[in-house]
Amino acid sequence: MLKRREAIKDVGRETSMFFVRCVIALGIVIGLMVFLLVREFKLQVIDHNKYQTQSENNRIRVQPIAPVRGLIYDQTGKLLAQNRSIFALEIVPEQVDDMNDTVERLRQMFDITDEQVEKFLEQVKFRPKFNSYAIKTNLDEQEVAIFSANQHFFAGVSVEARLERYYPYAASLVHVLGRMGAITQDDLVRMDEKDVREKKEMGTTRQRYAATGKMGKLGLERYYENRLHGEVGSEKVETDVRGRIVRVLEREEPQAGEDLHLYLHLGLQQKISQLMKEKGVRGAVVAVEPSTGGVLAMVSEPSYDPNMFTGGISSKDYQKLLTPERPLYNRAVQGTYPPASTIKPHLAFLGLKEGVITPSTRIADPGWFSLPNNDHRYRDWKAWGHGATVGVMQAIVESCDTFFYDLSVRLGINNIYDGMRQFGFGQKTGIDIVEEKVGIMPSRDWKKSARGEPWYNGDTVNIGIGQGFWTVTPLQLANATAVLANDGIRYNLQLVREFSQDNRFEANTPVMAYHQIDTSDGSWLDLVKDSMKKVTEPPRGTARSAFADAEYIAAGKTGTAQVKSIAQDEEYDATKIAEKFHDNALFIGYAPFEQPKIALAVMMENAGGGGSNAAPLARDIMDYYLLDVLKVNQAETASTDEESKDGAAN
Amino acid sequence: MALRTSAANTHKARRSLLWRLHIDVPLLLGLLALMAFSLLVVYSAGGESLALVERQVIRFGAGLTVMFLLAQVAPRTLKEWAPLFFLIGIVFLLAVIFFGESSKGAQRWIDLGVRFQPSEIMKLAVPIMVAAYLADKALPPTLKHLVISLALVLTPTVLIMIQPDLGTSLLIAASGFFVIFFAGLKWRYIVGALGIGMILAPIMWYFTMEEYQKGRVLTFLNPESDPLGSGYHIIQSQIAIGSGGIYGKGWLNGTQSQLEFLPERHTDFIFAVLGEEFGLIGIIILLALYLFVIWRGLYISLQGQDSFSRLLGAALTLTFFVYLFVNIGMVSGLLPVVGLPLPLISYGGTSIVTLMASFGILMSIQTHRRLHSA
Repeated sequence: MLKRREAIKDVGRETSMFFVRCVIALGIVIGLMVFLLVREFKLQVIDHNKYQTQSENNRIRVQPIAPVRGLIYDQTGKLLAQNRSIFALEIVPEQVDDMNDTVERLRQMFDITDEQVEKFLEQVKFRPKFNSYAIKTNLDEQEVAIFSANQHFFAGVSVEARLERYYPYAASLVHVLGRMGAITQDDLVRMDEKDVREKKEMGTTRQRYAATGKMGKLGLERYYENRLHGEVGSEKVETDVRGRIVRVLEREEPQAGEDLHLYLHLGLQQKISQLMKEKGVRGAVVAVEPSTGGVLAMVSEPSYDPNMFTGGISSKDYQKLLTPERPLYNRAVQGTYPPASTIKPHLAFLGLKEGVITPSTRIADPGWFSLPNNDHRYRDWKAWGHGATVGVMQAIVESCDTFFYDLSVRLGINNIYDGMRQFGFGQKTGIDIVEEKVGIMPSRDWKKSARGEPWYNGDTVNIGIGQGFWTVTPLQLANATAVLANDGIRYNLQLVREFSQDNRFEANTPVMAYHQIDTSDGSWLDLVKDSMKKVTEPPRGTARSAFADAEYIAAGKTGTAQVKSIAQDEEYDATKIAEKFHDNALFIGYAPFEQPKIALAVMMENAGGGGSNAAPLARDIMDYYLLDVLKVNQAETASTDEESKDGAAN
Repeated sequence: MALRTSAANTHKARRSLLWRLHIDVPLLLGLLALMAFSLLVVYSAGGESLALVERQVIRFGAGLTVMFLLAQVAPRTLKEWAPLFFLIGIVFLLAVIFFGESSKGAQRWIDLGVRFQPSEIMKLAVPIMVAAYLADKALPPTLKHLVISLALVLTPTVLIMIQPDLGTSLLIAASGFFVIFFAGLKWRYIVGALGIGMILAPIMWYFTMEEYQKGRVLTFLNPESDPLGSGYHIIQSQIAIGSGGIYGKGWLNGTQSQLEFLPERHTDFIFAVLGEEFGLIGIIILLALYLFVIWRGLYISLQGQDSFSRLLGAALTLTFFVYLFVNIGMVSGLLPVVGLPLPLISYGGTSIVTLMASFGILMSIQTHRRLHSA
């Protein structure tokens, strides 16, 4: 076999052919290796910068750091809103392979409601990528421990400690401080609008909130969101492919937000809140410092605990807040009520100023008023009248309706509208709360556009006793009271006295600091104020029993507002009508008379007469503030006014 | 020239100890250099895990042992056993199809006490068989011999392709064709085969390729079409290599690999780690080492004393080149992703043992010359 093969095979030819093939093969090998090298040269030399950048982008991430929100203090330095650390279960969606599976497995370990899942997914959809979003907040220590033990099963999920707002005084301040809420799609749109408005580069504000999950939704938290928020910081970090931070490369610290220092006095606020709760009152009390326009207390009852909203309120808990008592409703700034007789001093001042009455003008009071050529009788609260004739002082002290029916007709709606706007009715008080309502200061134009009807004289008559179309907020009422106490100076009401950041303080200067009403003939104002003083005094004052034995001199005015209109020949009888149609009790006042420290408005829904219900509450409030807080010297006030001797002696 | 060299060796009466142990020193040095390089890169790519390096060392040890054992087997013996070896391989491949174990969607494994892939046997059995068959024929082969050779190559290729394991089947086909090429296949056949291949390619696309294989090709053509899915590997490996630049980011400093952006970094994509950390310089060194090993392989083959040795040696050497070319081409984005390791550098795999076995055969060819002819 071997021989036969030898005979056929040409070894020499085969060997040289093999040699040629080997050379060709080596040539091809070298050629292809050069081809590979050319490729690597392209990648590593020509396109090096491009890949270098991509490699950096892969590993380096700039992540925002949320600033610490500014704190809120009362005038005595008590902390009203603080930041507390809470633990939240957070997910970086981009690092989760199968979101449904991850959420499902988390739900097997923790109590997570459908609602929380929905909210989480909603956030994920709209907020920036590669951020972490909370699916469950307020984890307790045990839950944190459980998760830590199982963390390796959950790529992209972690327990994070976050600062959350906490309100130590809970319900008593919610209508002042407001509350926080998750940033929504609408908020993001508003941020963009703000950029456009302030001619900033688009996305500036969003960037500022890149690490922030919540923003102020109500009250001071909302109004001062910009100052409270602070400036976002950033951190350049190196991460691995799962987004885990390997090390921090650079860090720019965030700047904490500004602190707010309020005019508000926590003790007074709590006292008022407590008094109203004791009486079971729905309503609002606003107390201001006349010399500054600073709000000392602003209470709306009933109320609710804003801490329930931290970490998202469940719809079940939220339903509980939607009762007929409406605790979510901020009566002090949003409630609009007929002012009733509380605006009589203002109307009297206007009448004197406009010259339609004089201090000696007296009108007949049969217990009713009627317009010429009309037999409709506008009844006085005192069916038999306040005497044969009534002058302006008596009309205020006894709250004579007939006198003011007559006065309003003398003034006419145009004068009333212009005059009352001077006291701040029909316009915002300028308080630092966005939700503020203006109520209605009626005028001919208003009625035409709102009701499509002309103004009738009968409309003016009702305005005379603060009824009819006229509605005010408790805030406006308190402010108008402060104007009288202040001899015509009207300040913008403010809750915040000053801001501070890193121990640098900045006073709060409202846009419109004050407005001066023409009081050139001081006697008009003095007459009105004296009348208000007599309201709290014997023998005829409507608030005399409430202020009996007061250790200071107070000026005031009661009001009782009809909620339901009563037919011409019907008697008002509280026992016969539903509670929600009971009269609203009102009181305005200030004290001490000579150097007013507090001016307030009390508004009690369906509580009955102002003198018997609202005035006693005002007395308790003034007692607390003047005697317990300010410790006003009785002798000093007594020496300035003879009339106070009775009160001081007791 | 080949004859002259071997004649010169004849007069060296005394052989070194290593020669008598059938070790070719230059080839061994080239392989050891590659292994050392491998350990460096595996240590870095494996997250500085010494355990990984240890296991790689053990595998290299096993490979060197197999190489040493095979080097003792004279080419003549290998040739005599070739048909049996080949037949056993075919039986195993059929067994895999009917009784094999599947993993990752492919049926490649068989359990005979130890789990192994019969296709690994075929990497050696096919070139040995074809070389044994053609060695006795007058070369270049006649058409009849060519057809039989092709049948010897294509039977196992098809059996492996249906497992499916495209990468291995192509390698085995290549190793068989290389034997035929070195046997003096006429150029017009080569050109003709390439032409037929181009016609067959679309047919294969529609009738025989699996979805995942089509996906790989599509991804190769446009990796950015699916940057987080199948294109991810290619994009990340190119970023790794490209960001390495000329000098590299330094050993253990490759961010793409250390931060785990690079998938399969200690196995199939280890070349990207090398490129990132050692730069173009490192790649040139690696290719130079490979070139040296290939040159030595071809040199040994040229000195082979019979057709069998020559054909087998050259074919095994070129198959080694195909390995590294396909792997580097794939990692650099020149070729579609095929699951082939970088020879002697990638961590793990039975491929190290198989490769070292083929170098054992080369050493046998080199060192059995005198003894054989004496």
